[in-house]
Amino acid sequence: MTGASFYAAPAAASNGAAGCSQKDAVWESGKLRLYRYRPIARPTGGVPLLIVYALVNRPYMLDLQEDRSLIRGLLAQGVDVYLIDWGYPDGADRLTTLADYIDDYLAGCVNHILKARRLSALNLLGVCQGGVLSLCFSALHPQRVRNLITMVTPVDFHTPADLLSKWVSKIDIAAWVNNGNVSGDALNQLFLSLMPFRLTQQKYMHLLTGSPGRAHIENFMRVEQWIFDSPDQAGAAFQEFVTWFYQENRLVENCVAIGGRKIDLRALRLPILNLIGTRDHLVPPDASLALQRLVGSADYTALEFDLGHIGMYISARAQREVPAAIANWLAPR
Amino acid sequence: MDNDLWRHWQELASLWNPAAPDAPSRSGLEGTFGLGSFTDAAERFAAAARSFLDGAANASAPAAGEAARAFGDFLREQFTEFRLPWSSGIGAGAAQGAPPPSMGDSPAFGATREHQQRWQRMAEASRRIGDAQRRLQRLWCDALREAAAAFAARLVPPHPGGVSAEALRELYDTWIDCAEEAYARVAHGEAFCNALAEYVNASSQWRRELQASIEHMAKLLDLPTRGEINTLTRRLKSVEELLRAAKNKRKPRVAASRTRPARRKAKQ
Repeated sequence: MTGASFYAAPAAASNGAAGCSQKDAVWESGKLRLYRYRPIARPTGGVPLLIVYALVNRPYMLDLQEDRSLIRGLLAQGVDVYLIDWGYPDGADRLTTLADYIDDYLAGCVNHILKARRLSALNLLGVCQGGVLSLCFSALHPQRVRNLITMVTPVDFHTPADLLSKWVSKIDIAAWVNNGNVSGDALNQLFLSLMPFRLTQQKYMHLLTGSPGRAHIENFMRVEQWIFDSPDQAGAAFQEFVTWFYQENRLVENCVAIGGRKIDLRALRLPILNLIGTRDHLVPPDASLALQRLVGSADYTALEFDLGHIGMYISARAQREVPAAIANWLAPR
Repeated sequence: MDNDLWRHWQELASLWNPAAPDAPSRSGLEGTFGLGSFTDAAERFAAAARSFLDGAANASAPAAGEAARAFGDFLREQFTEFRLPWSSGIGAGAAQGAPPPSMGDSPAFGATREHQQRWQRMAEASRRIGDAQRRLQRLWCDALREAAAAFAARLVPPHPGGVSAEALRELYDTWIDCAEEAYARVAHGEAFCNALAEYVNASSQWRRELQASIEHMAKLLDLPTRGEINTLTRRLKSVEELLRAAKNKRKPRVAASRTRPARRKAKQ
């Protein structure tokens, strides 16, 4: 690769935030946008799938580029896909709570879809932290969720391999939040510190020494953009999430309450598909696998993939396997 | 040799800094941004690796072992000054907020008592931050020492007949594996968790005290403060909640679903 193209490739790849698939904003509330993706294959006619992404990081990771897009994979399977984009919280959102996110924003999206499509229930796909929000929503509103899919979702936050959980166990979260938002940059520092040699050194060395082609550099730069495109976290919701789940492990202890209403996972009877990355360093497999013993569903399936956290969205293997696994699981349900 | 990694890195480095293609190292501004620091590190690594591979090839077992140890020590030294990502993020700026030395530990009296005490609390927080950073840095060094030993133990004398790019890359990846394994052992330990928590907690205290000082100054100048805006935000939020509740009352079906306990079975 010549000098000019070495610079040109990253520059050309710097605009991945919009995602690659065509979509329409169909509803909004505050900074939230609900998108519906345009079909690229013959629709199966099934119930729509609403993807609930995490509050940390941006959802375009699910639609990064044509050959690295979970959403595109689902569309190709004929799934009718909706996606929540939570937006970038600012100072005015510092008091936004988990109850606001779950019972207002997420519920608003679900209500909109159900009303527009004249349905009584839809399918939910919760990704990472979004999986926790989806579990809570499903427990609060089981009549509105037909099938629940959780992807790299932590449930038991006190498993031995959970480094993040160990680190935050003695941090005074209320003092850290201090009635404000939590900087996305600070969170990124923590995430990078989980594997500092790989995440701050090796991957760049590999880029430099691997004689990468243009496509590889573009892919690298899009992922790079996504990793550091970290929204600040609404302080109140962040404090609740870390305290309740990371520190107090309330899902396992069965003592979560959202907006004053108890979340009892044992009352969840709907079909559940749990997707796990066996090399996930952020959400250890055991943290996700715990879901089976906590829910009351008789129709529970766990699928493990030999992938890491990010690989579950963007690896070549994930493109081949994950959308098909979701579509196949949904088809008879 | 076409696939000589050393030359490849040099080409990349010169490409990154075309104005000075022969410069041996690009520390400074261009090393701070972009990939400059990585090309520097790559050069250093390649030179050390080449030295090890050349020295260990056809050497006696003790000499090869010594070369491996020297290479491991080099890597440990390279990363000793490396700052963990969190050390520039969460508590950044604390060192700049140290109070005037004269306030030190003197008893606080009179009209400025509250301010002096606030500065003293900031000083205490700064001291705690520094202590925690030192503890973390010691643990970091422990991890590097362990990584260097593990790396040296894994090194095998190279095949004679030249150093390939693949061999250099494998060496580098082996070092990274050793370093991550050693770091993981330390990072999961209680000492590291305690030091990190102390670092974050002290940083939070320092920021809170600084915020209070700034709010005090803002009030003197009749400028809006964060505390006042928070109060307004809380009022606005409660009004929004009342409004939402009123709206939901007008929509009985929605209101019922929002307040119904989650005890119904799912439709399947």
